[in-house]
Amino acid sequence: MLAEKNCPAPRAGVMALTLVIRPAWICSLFLPITSLHPVNDLASSSFSFLFGKMGLVQGPFLQGADSRAAETGRASQEKGQSQSPLYARIMQTPLTTTVPVLRLPRGPDGLSRGFAPDGRRAPLKPVVPEIPESQESRESQEQRARATLRERYLRSLLAMVGRQVSFTLHEGVHVTAHFGATDLDVANFYVSQLQTPIGVQAEALLRCSDIVSYTFKP
Amino acid sequence: MAMRQTPLTCSGHTRPVVDLAFSGITPYGYFLISACKDGKPMLRQGDTGDWIGTFLGHKGAVWGATLNKDATKAATAAADFTAKVWDAVSGDELMTLAHKHIVKTVDFTQDSNYLLTGGQDKLLRIYDLNKPEADPKEISGHTSGIKKALWCSEDKQILSADDKTVRLWDHATMTEVKSLNFNMSVSSMEYIPEGEILVITYGRSIAFHSAVSLDPIKSFEAPATINSASLHPEKEFLVAGGEDFKLYKYDYNSGEELESYKGHFGPIHCVRFSPDGELYASGSEDGTLRLWQTVVGKTYGLWKCVLPEEDSGDLAKPKISFPETAEEELEEIASENSDSIYSSTPEVKA
Repeated sequence: MLAEKNCPAPRAGVMALTLVIRPAWICSLFLPITSLHPVNDLASSSFSFLFGKMGLVQGPFLQGADSRAAETGRASQEKGQSQSPLYARIMQTPLTTTVPVLRLPRGPDGLSRGFAPDGRRAPLKPVVPEIPESQESRESQEQRARATLRERYLRSLLAMVGRQVSFTLHEGVHVTAHFGATDLDVANFYVSQLQTPIGVQAEALLRCSDIVSYTFKP
Repeated sequence: MAMRQTPLTCSGHTRPVVDLAFSGITPYGYFLISACKDGKPMLRQGDTGDWIGTFLGHKGAVWGATLNKDATKAATAAADFTAKVWDAVSGDELMTLAHKHIVKTVDFTQDSNYLLTGGQDKLLRIYDLNKPEADPKEISGHTSGIKKALWCSEDKQILSADDKTVRLWDHATMTEVKSLNFNMSVSSMEYIPEGEILVITYGRSIAFHSAVSLDPIKSFEAPATINSASLHPEKEFLVAGGEDFKLYKYDYNSGEELESYKGHFGPIHCVRFSPDGELYASGSEDGTLRLWQTVVGKTYGLWKCVLPEEDSGDLAKPKISFPETAEEELEEIASENSDSIYSSTPEVKA
């Protein structure tokens, strides 16, 4: 493939013909390098149609067409070119290269209408300003901490519902029960199947002031 | 060593691209909107051509599209007798402005408070975007369908083109100030605020007039019928494209044809320079947009400058990649031009 770039002029015609029948992707490599192209315009436009249909990027072939076209433009602009156009194009090949590109522009994704919210321009919503720490008083900091802790406690009570909980009461008394509910002030726990040293209570109310601690596995 | 132009093809549209417009330069770069006969205008990143989103909602071919200066709003004019204003950040439709016929052109004022529309009903309409329910102000006088309408002179005046005339109107009094007559159909119009220059194309001519007085400055003839032309922001070059599928680049001062590029597979309908002048975009009947470099070989956007092995001395750009040999470099260039799924290392390709 590298050697063919330096092929002498007479073989160029043969190469041009063979380009027409080779697979499309090989053509895309040859075209910018050799600047030899399919013989007629109809072939070139049918190739571009083929590329489009196959869903391949239009870039390689079309850029090849551009280079051919740009060179044709240059060839036509140059004065005194009396030789054949093909010879003129080959003579120009070693002197010019196409500008390289990093990639082709991205096209539509075909799925959505675009305007990605995390794109380069996110919608400019007014940002709620965070109060900086230094300005906040200690009271409000404490208040927030208390609120967070209470919320966590209430959630733990919710998680406890229906589970087996073991309570440690005063004087080393341990009882287990199924947790039901608590009242508004968390003063009493409503439990069922309370297992006491003197028997099992179907339903019972445990005073929280009697409870030293309780534990459960979620 | 001379380099050949590599245009970047932006695919996605399925029908001819009839209009395109760039935004101003924003902190996020600049953007490009393209109007297409498939009814789905698209927003793209201006320097790379990457698709950002499609404005969905029109029920007919979109004939005109524009962005406001900071690319937060977009406006489109369509054959479904409506013009729509869109949020260019989220893609949502903000308002629909009903007309009595096909709408062909839309333009925002600098402060994005007013929208100018024009179309086949031969009326210019000015909508207050802060009061969309209110009736627009109407300016009549054109005798054929309006093809292009633009604010000019810091939004104090309006320029409008129909088939054979270009007219200048005063915004405050809503009356005609001056008009130009042509014996050929006017195909496009562009307004350059810095210098108050108006670029008009008709037939094979590209004409430059003063936007204030409509007096002619100069004009050039192209080899083929020209559909659209654009002047570089620094007024060094102009580019024009038309029916012969080619893009022509002229020196503005001398009128000399500098380059011509083939590449589109259909007539070129619109050409515009980017706001920084580094590239220009062309939209064609073949359904593609192409981005072309103003200075070929410069590193910008997706174009990457690679120095050749022999340093010619005038290329002062830093080398970005270091291929071992000239042959490998050319292979890499070839692989760079193809899809990224093909190219990994040159050795793999060989």
